[in-house]
Amino acid sequence: MSAQFTGEGDHTPDAPPAFQAIDAHAAYDGVPVLNGVDLRIPSGQTMAVLGPNGSGKSTLMRAMLGIVPLTSGEIRIHGTPLRRFRDWKRIGYVPQRLTAGGAVPATVREIVASGQVARRRRLSLSTKADRAAVDDALAAVDLSDRAGDAVRELSGGQQQRVLIARALAGRPDTFVMDEPMAGVDAENQRALARAIARLREQGSTVVLVLHELGPLENVIERAVVLEHGRAVHDGAPPEADGECARPGHEHQHPHPDPNDPDPRVAPTDAHTEIVRLEVPHRD
Amino acid sequence: MTELLHYEFMQRALIAAVLVGLVTPVIGTFLVQRRLALLGDGIGHVALTGVALGLLTSTSPVVTAAVVATLGAVLMELVRVRTRTSGDVALALLFYGGIAGGVLLIGLTPGASNATLTSFLFGSVSTVAEEDIWIVVVLAVGVLAVLAIFGRELFVLCQDEEVARAHGLPVRFLSILLAVTAALTVVIAMRVVGVLMVSALMIIPVAAAQQLSRSFRVTMGLAVLIGLASSLGGLTTSFYSDLAPGATIVLLALLVYCVAVVVGGVLRRVTRRRGSTPLPPVSGSPTDTMIQTDRGKVTP
Repeated sequence: MSAQFTGEGDHTPDAPPAFQAIDAHAAYDGVPVLNGVDLRIPSGQTMAVLGPNGSGKSTLMRAMLGIVPLTSGEIRIHGTPLRRFRDWKRIGYVPQRLTAGGAVPATVREIVASGQVARRRRLSLSTKADRAAVDDALAAVDLSDRAGDAVRELSGGQQQRVLIARALAGRPDTFVMDEPMAGVDAENQRALARAIARLREQGSTVVLVLHELGPLENVIERAVVLEHGRAVHDGAPPEADGECARPGHEHQHPHPDPNDPDPRVAPTDAHTEIVRLEVPHRD
Repeated sequence: MTELLHYEFMQRALIAAVLVGLVTPVIGTFLVQRRLALLGDGIGHVALTGVALGLLTSTSPVVTAAVVATLGAVLMELVRVRTRTSGDVALALLFYGGIAGGVLLIGLTPGASNATLTSFLFGSVSTVAEEDIWIVVVLAVGVLAVLAIFGRELFVLCQDEEVARAHGLPVRFLSILLAVTAALTVVIAMRVVGVLMVSALMIIPVAAAQQLSRSFRVTMGLAVLIGLASSLGGLTTSFYSDLAPGATIVLLALLVYCVAVVVGGVLRRVTRRRGSTPLPPVSGSPTDTMIQTDRGKVTP
């Protein structure tokens, strides 16, 4: 809670884990999606949650942030139960895509600056430090020269970098990223991988939900693989397996729904409609 | 030109028009961003029930409209979240409930008929009483204060509700706050353009401004200018040409929108030709459409 928060990781050996899921269960419309996940993510770790579509990986990540409620079990963030957690400025969430709000345009800079919402007081004007943090965040993703452009003029990969910059602007020490590589071209993927590697060097905690490791193979310290809402692998990242796992492979994602809301079956064309129906809190 | 200032009713009408032109586009910018452009319409219909209630109980219709519209806005947010009714269906429920309630109550009011409602449906800025002006001033100050205090959070909420949650923002509270603020804005604008056209002043200036802007802030600023110009211009025109003020204001705003579309198109073409900010090579989102890239693919 220190006011002088620097964005550096918490390196004291007895620091509580950044995230802890204890026997986490979650369901959409009574269909179980998480079936008792136990997960401990130590502070400072760069780890990936992997799994096929419908394995529950996105749901787990959303549950860890309180976006999706658990039906039973517990989530702790930096040692505090989710319900009582108030130190949100430590968390930098990178959603799967820029929803582009409604039809109102917004500049790259406006979007990035909005990442500071959790650390700024109401009615306060932006300070020099706030603006410097936005500049730094833009520079970190190589978008300084696009600051004044409307985000919708950017490519998908650039928009993804805007979202990472938005998380960076709040100077958090704990990042949660939902498939940051999905729909991003190879060059932007490498830029993203560099940015994530820098976060790791700074000692930040980085939790990534990924479809495949791709160019992040060398950055990830630990991988947890989910299947049917359970962790089936926890340890070193799994070996690259087949063409799809190779870095730079341009993957055609079969699921049209960006929220990947995890019915437990493998994706088929027939169930995409079900997927759509089962996303709560979406208008 | 100054002769319209000699009439007391016109002085009041001008004050109301300035406040409406100022406040409605500001809240409208957030509503458009949140894809709740029709929320103002739904609340406007509910406000009609409030008006009828005021006439029935011989209290100020503006006050009862404010109370009922606020309750309606809260109710709609709850319906939307609790019962999984989609936003547009929740709005439809408001539309019909509000109109039916208004007509029913006005029928119970001695000496009043549906014709009494007409001035509220289409606005009658020239009959604004002095006490109405004070209520409108207070509401306008309140709305602007709320937006000044919570604007940053509302921006995040309207941009992406999940991100707002992950920032630990009070999403439920902010949603209701926005809906209530919209309800009070509807009441402010009700006397000037009428409940059926309230939403027009929230949406059209924003729709026009976004043709000419790439930033949220500039869009809001331009929308306020357009809102003020339309409401003052429309009121003045209607005074000299003996036209219905509410309709004149709305049509003037629509005219500005049409001009903005043309000017915006020309501006975009010019900047594209100059290549000042070259469009990215890989892009699923052309500049002049509002939706983003195709998610499922790496290349378009």
